[in-house]
Amino acid sequence: MNRRRSLPDWVGRALACLVGAIVLAMMVGPQQGSANDYGVGFRQSVLNSRIFYFLAVGALVFLAVTYKDVVLRYASRPGVRPLIAGVLILLASYFLMRWYDPLGNNGKFSGLADAVGQTPGIAPLAEVFFAWLWWVSLIVLVVGIFTAIAKQLRWLGWACAVLAVLVGVIAVVAHSSAASAGGGIDHSFGAPTALIGYLVLAAAGVLAARSTAETAATREFVERVMAFRPGLPLVAMGLVLGVLALTVATWFAPQQDNATLVDASSLFASSAASGLSEAFLAWLGYLIFAVVLLLGAAAVWTGQKLLGYLTAAVAGVAIVLTVVTLHDISKTAFEAGYPGAGGPWQDLGSGGWLLCIALFSIGAGGFVAARRAPVSAGTASSDGATANGRLHQMGASTTTLSIALFGIGLALFYPPTATTFWQQALVTDIGVYVLLAIGLNVVIGWAGLLDLGYIAFYALGSYTTAYLTGSLPVKPPSWLNLSPLWAIPAAIAVCLIAGVLLGAPTLRLRGDYLAIVTLGFGEIIRIIAVNNPGNFTNGPRGVESAVPHPVIDLGFFRIEWGGNQLQYWYLLLTLVAILFILFYRLEGSRLGRAWAAVREDEVAAQASGVNTTRVKLLAFAIGASTSGLAGVFFASDIGYFNPQNFILANSILIVAYVVFGGMGSLIGAIAGAAALTWLPNFLRDQVPSEDRVMWIGAVLVVMMVFRPQGLIPARRREAELTGLAGHDTSVRQGVQAVPAGEGV
Amino acid sequence: LTDFLNYLMLGLTRGSMYALIALGYTLVYGVLQLINFAHSEVFMAGAFGSFLVVNGIVGDGGNVSGLASVFVVLAGLASGALTGAVVAYGLERVAYRPLRRRGAPKLAFLISAIGASFFLSQLFGKVFNRLGNNQFPDYLNKNATLFTIFGAQVKLLQVVIIVAALLLMFFLDRLVSGTKLGRGIRATAEDAPTAALMGVDIDRTISRTFIIGGALAGAAGFLFGSAFVFTNTMGFIPGIKAFAAAVLGGIGNIRGAMIGGLLLGVAENLIPTAPWVGGEAWIGQEWTDVVAFVILILILVFRPTGILGERLGRAA
Repeated sequence: MNRRRSLPDWVGRALACLVGAIVLAMMVGPQQGSANDYGVGFRQSVLNSRIFYFLAVGALVFLAVTYKDVVLRYASRPGVRPLIAGVLILLASYFLMRWYDPLGNNGKFSGLADAVGQTPGIAPLAEVFFAWLWWVSLIVLVVGIFTAIAKQLRWLGWACAVLAVLVGVIAVVAHSSAASAGGGIDHSFGAPTALIGYLVLAAAGVLAARSTAETAATREFVERVMAFRPGLPLVAMGLVLGVLALTVATWFAPQQDNATLVDASSLFASSAASGLSEAFLAWLGYLIFAVVLLLGAAAVWTGQKLLGYLTAAVAGVAIVLTVVTLHDISKTAFEAGYPGAGGPWQDLGSGGWLLCIALFSIGAGGFVAARRAPVSAGTASSDGATANGRLHQMGASTTTLSIALFGIGLALFYPPTATTFWQQALVTDIGVYVLLAIGLNVVIGWAGLLDLGYIAFYALGSYTTAYLTGSLPVKPPSWLNLSPLWAIPAAIAVCLIAGVLLGAPTLRLRGDYLAIVTLGFGEIIRIIAVNNPGNFTNGPRGVESAVPHPVIDLGFFRIEWGGNQLQYWYLLLTLVAILFILFYRLEGSRLGRAWAAVREDEVAAQASGVNTTRVKLLAFAIGASTSGLAGVFFASDIGYFNPQNFILANSILIVAYVVFGGMGSLIGAIAGAAALTWLPNFLRDQVPSEDRVMWIGAVLVVMMVFRPQGLIPARRREAELTGLAGHDTSVRQGVQAVPAGEGV
Repeated sequence: LTDFLNYLMLGLTRGSMYALIALGYTLVYGVLQLINFAHSEVFMAGAFGSFLVVNGIVGDGGNVSGLASVFVVLAGLASGALTGAVVAYGLERVAYRPLRRRGAPKLAFLISAIGASFFLSQLFGKVFNRLGNNQFPDYLNKNATLFTIFGAQVKLLQVVIIVAALLLMFFLDRLVSGTKLGRGIRATAEDAPTAALMGVDIDRTISRTFIIGGALAGAAGFLFGSAFVFTNTMGFIPGIKAFAAAVLGGIGNIRGAMIGGLLLGVAENLIPTAPWVGGEAWIGQEWTDVVAFVILILILVFRPTGILGERLGRAA
């Protein structure tokens, strides 16, 4: 095919890199031209000395692509990838993360370093670290590990690993002493991120030192680690977090106080707090952590089922004790009128919650160990090949299970320590869209129906709630004034009916036609909400009065939502958990398999006796009712909403979440939605707010180019993409199957 | 009747622009069986690109008239088409070809396109501006009435837009049915692997399809920008409508896209204002989009492959 191409390959590549560099320059350049001078933005970003940085990046990319073989040979050495990852994480923690919240936007590393430099009497370690140790250690580590890899010097690898861990610990200690010198409430991520970066670097060093092969197999290494004593990583994580929680973390922090566990113990020593809390702060906390840790270690090491479950149970008790203590001390402080104490559950630092995460992690480790006993050494040596295969398989699923469990721990106990902004973002931005993504995953991922009007059902759910709670201009009959919780069945019913009404005539359409029909439906619903026929929806202004918060009142037991976002967070977690279990069961059921059949080949499915219309309609209705449920939640959480919440772009974004996470995979949908909704909130601090959408678009494209199957692909989908052994699936792919250069 | 004709002209004007954009959707769908969701941003890029050129030629100086404005219109069309072609080509290289090489699932293309769409629209907004009211300089007397039929005034600009669009569509039709490249496009649409065996360079054909579609959309961007305002988010609504038009006519079918575009434009302007002669409108102007989508849904329900059916593409 090169017959007609007159230019050599590298010219095109160089041009592409040049264009890429210029586009990059514009992406990070200053904001927009004005109506009088359209070129100003372009000139400022491109005709500026900064362009040379970007040209240099472009040149590097060009060289890397041109000499790909050489680069790849080095890049596949063991340890190179963790080295790069570690450096990237450290740079991210330097440039992107905040190291100290009270300094606001100046709270990044350099800002804190300046502040430390100007503060006399700070711990010498912190002074040294922020003054020069950071950069020096980084350079030494990079050079050292690289040399170790290139020259295969084992001792150097070990030395660098030790040094990395050391510096990581120094970073945390330096940060905490700087923060305690400064006072104030600090939830910054800079230091923990740096610690992770250093640990990754240490892993690079260990890999370089331990490597026997010429090429890297990082993934296999990870899986070997996970498969050797399942649950070990979780317990180790719990150990680190727990020690941090018991020693340096803040347990009680009203008014800029930073009381660690020891301080809190003396603070509450002779207060009205219950004996249990006092004991917990004084000694029980340490003791119970030690007990759980020992149990966990024993369970992991021996692989005894009983011991594992016992660990999980004891860890559960310990978590309950911790939470009770936390509640008790905050309540006591509030009632005693401690200055700044805001009431039960208020002003608790991160320490208690961190301890909960640690305990949960260890308990999960015990659970994992009980679920998956380690492969005995005998099998491995007797039959290398199969044992290796088993090891591989088991490691993979153990990894997934461990990560999932740790994620649950974080989801349970991290939010209380987050700032109000993040709590708000977690519920209204992230959580709601996770719910929506779970629902859409049924429609797109399992049944393979492209639905671009998914947000319409969300709108229906929200407006149904608003109507039933009397927040719209049109009031419901007076006997029907409900709490939002009672709107849930109604909203689900409305969405089911709407889904069936829309689906019944249209579901016989093929993929893209269905997409445009659903898109049209979504727009119609939104425009109806805007145009406000019969003064039902109150038009673009949104609901008339706030949708009330839900209340559960059983006489003796009463919960009222709305005090803070955390309550909604836990309600949301419950909903997600219920849906997750339901849908997880559904996926493997007869219906789930019928969906897969319809998705893969509708004609064949029909021929095999699947009632395709009914099956597709069910998928549509289930997805719609999930969306309606999310709508109820959204309406009662946010109170006021208007048709702007239901624009088409949101529908498209949910599709993006599902595909980004990995189509057809429940965990993938959750991860994708969480990642992509977290990103704009994260970017809020990092880039100008107008540019956020641009960066998200870039992330989507890059992700799809390099990992089209999504973050956590479903097994079946992954097999489709990579091809099962012996099945050349690429034949089915039509155009894509034609290799480049086939035609002349 | 006067109102009817006025709305008819308005509908034809919009419809011809929809048709131009719809052609891009349909062409790409024909060869790749995928919805190019970023096509609306190609349209937007065409408006910005042609604006820079037209602004450069005309400057701030008042009205241009006579032969000069013909020249400016041609320059605008050409520059819009060029920008559109370049952006569409880049789009194909960056957001589509790597995915094709990997044999990614169809939805991955969709997401990549959506990402590219966000990216392009915001990048243009960032580099040029994000204002909502950019206007082309007066390069011809837009509101001059060319002639009057039954009291309805036919504006010069409307005529320019319709004529330009029809000409472009005519050229495209010749191109696809008459030239070697057109044969390649049709062959690829029919059956890509076989076409490859018959000596069609698939990659090249796909690139060129994108370029042609992009050029048409870019030209439409120029026309749209002249008639209304242009912004960095202007692509979205016309893009959706044009996609609907392409589906309406039978996606993958070139003549279908033309007819679908015109039909959609006319229908969405005529139906909401149904009792055209005097009196209250039947339903308000604000229901325009609802009407458009309801027509679309009805047609798809009763004739699921569009008005003319699919021709370029295969029925899967």
